[in-house]
Amino acid sequence: MAEILLGESSPPAPQSPSRAFWSAFRENRGATIGLAVVAFIVFLAIFANVVAPHSPIEQFRDAVKAPPVWERGGTWRFAFGTDSLGRDLLSRLIFGTRVSLFIGVSVMTVSFVFGTLLGLACAAFGNAVDIAVTRVMDLIMAVPSLVLAILVVAVLGPNLLDTIVAVTVVYLPRYVRLVRASAMGELQREYVTAARVAGVGQARLMLRTVLLNCLTPLIVQAALGVSDAILEAAALGFLGLGAQPPIAEWGTMLADSREFIRSNPWMVTLPGLAILITVVSINLAGDGLRDALDPKMRRS
Amino acid sequence: MLKFLFKRALLTIPTFFALMFLTFAAIRLVPGDPVEVRVGEHGISPERLAQFRHELGLDQPIWLQFWHYVVQLCHGDFGTSVATNRPVLTEFITLFPATLELGFFAMALATLVGLPTGTIAAVKRGTWFDQLLIGVSVAGYSMPIFWWGLLLIMFVGERWGWTPVSGRIDLINYYYEPKTGFMVIDAWLSGQAGAVRDALRHLILPAIVLGTVPLAVIARMTRSAMLEVLSEDYVRTARAKGLPAWRVFGVHAMRNALIPVITVIGLQVGTLLAGAVLTETIFSWPGIGKWLIESINRRDYPSLQGGIMLISAMVIAVNVLVDLLYGVVNPRIRHG
Repeated sequence: MAEILLGESSPPAPQSPSRAFWSAFRENRGATIGLAVVAFIVFLAIFANVVAPHSPIEQFRDAVKAPPVWERGGTWRFAFGTDSLGRDLLSRLIFGTRVSLFIGVSVMTVSFVFGTLLGLACAAFGNAVDIAVTRVMDLIMAVPSLVLAILVVAVLGPNLLDTIVAVTVVYLPRYVRLVRASAMGELQREYVTAARVAGVGQARLMLRTVLLNCLTPLIVQAALGVSDAILEAAALGFLGLGAQPPIAEWGTMLADSREFIRSNPWMVTLPGLAILITVVSINLAGDGLRDALDPKMRRS
Repeated sequence: MLKFLFKRALLTIPTFFALMFLTFAAIRLVPGDPVEVRVGEHGISPERLAQFRHELGLDQPIWLQFWHYVVQLCHGDFGTSVATNRPVLTEFITLFPATLELGFFAMALATLVGLPTGTIAAVKRGTWFDQLLIGVSVAGYSMPIFWWGLLLIMFVGERWGWTPVSGRIDLINYYYEPKTGFMVIDAWLSGQAGAVRDALRHLILPAIVLGTVPLAVIARMTRSAMLEVLSEDYVRTARAKGLPAWRVFGVHAMRNALIPVITVIGLQVGTLLAGAVLTETIFSWPGIGKWLIESINRRDYPSLQGGIMLISAMVIAVNVLVDLLYGVVNPRIRHG
């Protein structure tokens, strides 16, 4: 309350960084909508067992391939219809948010942490370490993403965890290259020399001083990396190389219902729509994040 | 120029070695025995099994197997498919034109639509067209293309019956020996009435599906590259001296805006090959993407190994080409 009153009566004080960020972010309508949808999806994922009307794997033998409520013969009992085994599609979609977000966030976290450490190591040690790591990353980038993921899954076997490993390997080079390039730039700056003169150790110098100054592009990359990972994992699921039944994963659901595309089109339409909405909203929010964090990076 | 090309090519050699090691090591770690897959699970004597292993060289030490693998690769021998008993390179060369044809049409679509729409959006910045393009390109970039393909099959192919939904040509009405492997050209060479049209009709949906992501990326990149160039003095000069709009935007501005766009188009080649795996699977398109997936399911190690090697080699080669193209488009970064 006091804050609001103060804001009204006194001349505008310089905005705090977080306030400045928010007002820049809110200017972007697409980003705001994207963030709201992402928040809703996160809500669904957390409270899936409360929100979902049925269990995602319970088979209602009396209602196999029931149409959704907007089609002739649809009922509110299965608002989005059921699949070929009589499982409620709405519940599977809601529980699917858990799977997709879990994949997206774990891929992002693991590749972020390892990518950052490898990138910093390249910049800090140079020479042999740098060449070795850069070569390996070049190699990973030379193999088309999905093909590499397929190779990794072929080695590890198709399941949820190995999907995450496969997609993480694919996205690792992005972080390594980003951190390496910005850290090398920062190392030339005077504040780094000053910190060195002041006796800051190598580990602290890299992890605190340098890393904090290359964080902005990394955060943006991480946000957009979540949506890419979700898309890639869904593609693997669609090819039968991702999460295995009965897990309610959107890509796997699509693949399972492919044969009913003529007779029961909603089984194909809805899971794909769920993927598209999730990925679009994360991308919109991520674009907004980039524009708000660093106007220089703005894609005009 | 030649010197640069040479240096650039030399730099890719360690990458190739690492690639060989990666594919070799990865494939050895795959669970499942290729010999058992080949002979089936029952009714074979241990002696026959040992003989098969010997024929495939699977009874030798791993390091020796790798050495043989490298030597073979250097002789252009990518192994023999365990499933079909044909050389992997032959299979690849037979199937690759299908993927190339599809990729060419997808990329042509993406470029021919992406460049003009991106340019118009930049020139008419802030209008409804601009807003629409931004919205559509985010959706296109985020599109799960396997779903997009199924939707198109469902509506355009099945419900409205406008286009065929699988394969490269109607095999009942048209049959001819492949000469080039490119269905459109083969159809034209065969001289059969309506064959070219049929081949093109088969290409429409797969090309749209495969071209969607590159189209979104190219349109958006063109827009932002154009916006940057449009505020330059030389563009204002060109307009001031009364040149027609298409010349100012399409020639003067485009030439400089193209540099980042070409990079992006080059980078899309990897995306395109990854997308081909999905697109070909959906449309039963007999190219290398579908072949790779089939190889995994058949545990056909040599095919998978050779296929990934060849695909990656192509991506590396295209990256070198893109580097060279910069010089052609922009003399300022021409390599001495």
